Amino acid sequence: MAASKNPQYTLRYFDRIGVAEGSKLLLSVANVEWAEEHPEWPLEKPNQPFGRMPVLIEKHANDKDFVICESGNIERYLARAYGFIPSDIRQAALQEQLRDQASDMFAAFISQLVAKSEEDRRENFAKFDGLLDKLVEVQTKQINANGNIGYMFGDRLSYADIVTYAFYKIIVVGMVKRQANIVNIVKPKLTPQLIKLIATVEANPLLASYMARGDSLAAIVTKPTPARL
Amino acid sequence: MLSGSDTVYVLRYFDLIGRAEGCRLLLTAANASWTEEHPEWPAEKANQPFERLPVLVERSNGDEWILCESLTIERYLARVFGFMPTDLKQAALQEQMVDQQADLVPAFMAQLIATDDMKSKQFDEFNTLFDRMVKEHGRILSRNSSKQHLFGDQLSYADISLYAFYKVYIVYLKIYQSDIDEIVKPKLTPEIINLILSIEKEPLLAPHLSKCDSMAAVLSSKAF
Repeated sequence: MAASKNPQYTLRYFDRIGVAEGSKLLLSVANVEWAEEHPEWPLEKPNQPFGRMPVLIEKHANDKDFVICESGNIERYLARAYGFIPSDIRQAALQEQLRDQASDMFAAFISQLVAKSEEDRRENFAKFDGLLDKLVEVQTKQINANGNIGYMFGDRLSYADIVTYAFYKIIVVGMVKRQANIVNIVKPKLTPQLIKLIATVEANPLLASYMARGDSLAAIVTKPTPARL
Repeated sequence: MLSGSDTVYVLRYFDLIGRAEGCRLLLTAANASWTEEHPEWPAEKANQPFERLPVLVERSNGDEWILCESLTIERYLARVFGFMPTDLKQAALQEQMVDQQADLVPAFMAQLIATDDMKSKQFDEFNTLFDRMVKEHGRILSRNSSKQHLFGDQLSYADISLYAFYKVYIVYLKIYQSDIDEIVKPKLTPEIINLILSIEKEPLLAPHLSKCDSMAAVLSSKAF
């Protein structure tokens, strides 16, 4: 009988593809025992460390729980703990930079989504659109610099690959109910290099059981766009 | 210290406190050789890696290495210069506080630009979040034996970030909202004020803070 793994993790978040996606992917590839909790909301708000989610609880057999929040912080902690962020400080910073840039793009996406007036919506969309173009450019540049082998750095899955994948998944899969046309906005901008990275991440054996849930981003971005007649 | 003595840094940003104060304080505390550049904007936008500021340029041995994103720059400098704990859990607790502080920015902006019908709701959200942040600072401080620091007994990344945070909301953001300091100052507990003033007196920060207005005068001018 296999001993249960130590430590074990609980990730508290909404039952959706949102800012906790990177954390879920990292927990999956870390090969640790983990489970999701979907606290009733907003009922459980006061019971969270900062009134927000996601929250990560690390449970040890013989020690008290270690609890952290803030999605980027949870990701970086897991990525460092399980070897997905390099120990070289400069290399680590280059990976973190990519996450922060993707997060900037996501914030711009939300701004145009929630804009009230038509004028604000147009202005915010233009900002999001421009930032997305710039993000695709820097991401593609990095992939090319690494030989376009499906990884941002080195020759195996790293934090940078996971968070790049995660943010496109949040927008193209997670947000599609709130903005139906988002696929037709984002998909044409994805370079072959990014599509290859997305497919490579999803095909990683470490993600096999997580991807069994469905919601394949690769399926959407590699599906040929129907030709216009 | 992990950087060579012949390494020089350039911090590119606007001539404002803005999002760069944490970077400035870290470079100062590190006793690094650094200067600031204020690129003409938006003329220089296209010359930045992500068309945004701040940007950190690190030059050593004839090489140039560039990093952007304010918090990535901060975490990088904090690690290079030993202000971030090497223990992953301790580092995560400091980074958590910094990320929570950063959450306040969108909330501040939302209440600033809100149309009349949303003003009250957005302000309440900002207010609640700010109260929660002050409470969190107090909670961290209460768990530390030294009351001059958030963690341990030496200047850390968290201390520097906390100081920059309160400077932003009490000094900097007045250019956007003239009464923000009067909204924020009453929320500060005596323990937090004492902490801010202790950090301000840190000798390592003197080269930068001696050029700035002291927060001490601002914090003591609370109308009671």
